[in-house]
Amino acid sequence: MKARRRVVTGSAASVKRRPTVRKIKPAIAPVARRASSSASAGSAATARSAASAAARPEPSLPAAPIDLAVDLGRGLVLGNPILVASGTFGYGIEYGDVVDVQRLGAICCKGTTLRPRIGNPTPRVTETPGGMLNSIGLQNPGVDAVVEKYASTWAGWQVPVIVNVAGESIGDYVEVVRRLDGVPGVAGIELNISCPNVGAGGIQFAIDANAAGAVTAAVRRATDLPLLVKLSPNVADVRPIARAIADGGADALTAVNTLSGIAVAPSRARPLLGNVYGGLSGPAIKPVALRIVYEVTQVVDIPVIAIGGVAELADVLDYLAVGAVAAQVGTAIFADPGLPVRLIGELADECRGRGLDSYRPLIGTALPKRAAPPSARGVEYRP
Amino acid sequence: MRLGGAQLLDSREILPGQWLQAYLAPDLVAGARAGQFVHVRTGDYSGLVLRRPFSYNTIDPLAGTLTIHFRTVGRGTAWFTQLRPGDRIDMLGPLGRPFEVDPRSRHLLLVAGGLGIAGVRALADEAIRDGRQVTLLFGAATAREVYPSSLLPDEVEYVVATDDGSVGHHGFVTDLVPEYEAWADQAFACGPLPMLRTLSNLAATRRQRLGVASLGRKRGAGRPLAPGSPQARKKAFLQVSMEQNMGCAVGACLGCVVMTTSGTPQRVCREGPVFAAEEIAWEGGW
Repeated sequence: MKARRRVVTGSAASVKRRPTVRKIKPAIAPVARRASSSASAGSAATARSAASAAARPEPSLPAAPIDLAVDLGRGLVLGNPILVASGTFGYGIEYGDVVDVQRLGAICCKGTTLRPRIGNPTPRVTETPGGMLNSIGLQNPGVDAVVEKYASTWAGWQVPVIVNVAGESIGDYVEVVRRLDGVPGVAGIELNISCPNVGAGGIQFAIDANAAGAVTAAVRRATDLPLLVKLSPNVADVRPIARAIADGGADALTAVNTLSGIAVAPSRARPLLGNVYGGLSGPAIKPVALRIVYEVTQVVDIPVIAIGGVAELADVLDYLAVGAVAAQVGTAIFADPGLPVRLIGELADECRGRGLDSYRPLIGTALPKRAAPPSARGVEYRP
Repeated sequence: MRLGGAQLLDSREILPGQWLQAYLAPDLVAGARAGQFVHVRTGDYSGLVLRRPFSYNTIDPLAGTLTIHFRTVGRGTAWFTQLRPGDRIDMLGPLGRPFEVDPRSRHLLLVAGGLGIAGVRALADEAIRDGRQVTLLFGAATAREVYPSSLLPDEVEYVVATDDGSVGHHGFVTDLVPEYEAWADQAFACGPLPMLRTLSNLAATRRQRLGVASLGRKRGAGRPLAPGSPQARKKAFLQVSMEQNMGCAVGACLGCVVMTTSGTPQRVCREGPVFAAEEIAWEGGW
């Protein structure tokens, strides 16, 4: 509870956003200006929605402050529920010329491992109908280089940076997280557990409830940083795994990672990707991700962040309806780098249009009405 | 790097299945140099989730126009051929590092294989503007696929090779290189990987075979140049424009890397697409 209260003082962070607000102020109607100065928590949202309202030909309603803040636990409070997904936004600096990164809810950085990795042979990416396959192979300079190169930049940002962590053993994960613990600029950890557990015959942590729970618990003991764990969709039933991770002490879940797939080279002589297997992302996987979020939100009581094919506001609203508290944008950034920031304004407008002062009433509206034990329906349709 | 609108001015099928399109895009043209590229969004996100990278084929800073040259290979490129003059699309650019020409180079040898012409075409304009002499060696499968000389500046010496001998030299374009390599101060190439690898092998042995001096630093001047830096590339005899499947094109996704001799993969979209030939690990090395 005490941590929650600190969250309120943490919203003083949004007071720091005032310079941004001032810049946009001329576009805000006088009514809205009064409203934004009275409610500091929603001030950034006000500025955003007012700016987007001004961009539209017919501004509908006077901009009211909409509360878009998301509490992920352990003091990690995001200004809004739109995050950018690991692997699609680098370390947050690459898109700096064309995206106002400070307005994002949070940035999940590229997967980081203990030692540097050169990644997989090329080709590493290919487009597929409504999506893309990637097999980057976790190319990254290693945790020490990441901290040295980027952490001081992140520390000066108002947008929280969540470091995505990958490893081949529980020891790897723990060591990486130890080195990130207490580093200014690191706001949280997102565990990528869709990696082979080398010590246990190369079985992915994410497909085994015991391994997933164990790695979560081990990392939990190593750090007080907010801990997110990313679920894999490549499992028969994700619910026991989600429960194990929640029991292991994760603060939030991210659902889902990419779906495993392959493509064939145009010559038909071999698979296309250098690593043969790739991860499918993009609009093509949204129904699968939606199903998993729907199942997971009914069996855990920690927040779930949805990810999978978000390309427009309707996708965000769908994920909120099945119980997610926030959404990550990934593949769509490649086509439309401005999308995540635009979604924030559109979400505020959506709330305003429905007469809401917070986006929270949109969460869980499509879940079964009674808090019933999870249904087994649909299981037979799974591959 | 800027995100800007581009208006289609003209779209022509210059060769069977190959298109040349001119766009009015002042934001994308300002400051753009030969070797750089634009990343272009298709209008069909539900099916085509990735942008398409195109080299600047020509750049006209005064008119604010650029051209792109591409072959229709799939749904994405086919989508671009459906555009009509006046249509607006979304481009991200200029991206990547350009060709670096040493100020002392008088004679430039450009080598292009097939559609690789789109990668070096703008350099011909730049070099002629700067008063250099340009020879373009062009290789294609047959006469039907030979880039029309009418689309090149008059000052360019244009030499063609075809695999079937239907026009020009009968054989690979790389066969023509020994004739010109003594004349050339620097060479710039874009095309299929085997062609680039052959050129790289030729360039690597050039000093021993021809006894020519390489473009070096002034004696005793400063520290050695960092490999991969624009300054080091400026001194390289052979620069190649690399191709790779691309995701974000801004260096975030690490999809489009090539292996380099340093043992670290480099991003085609950020450290490239132009590399000095000696930077590339031609046999892979993963």
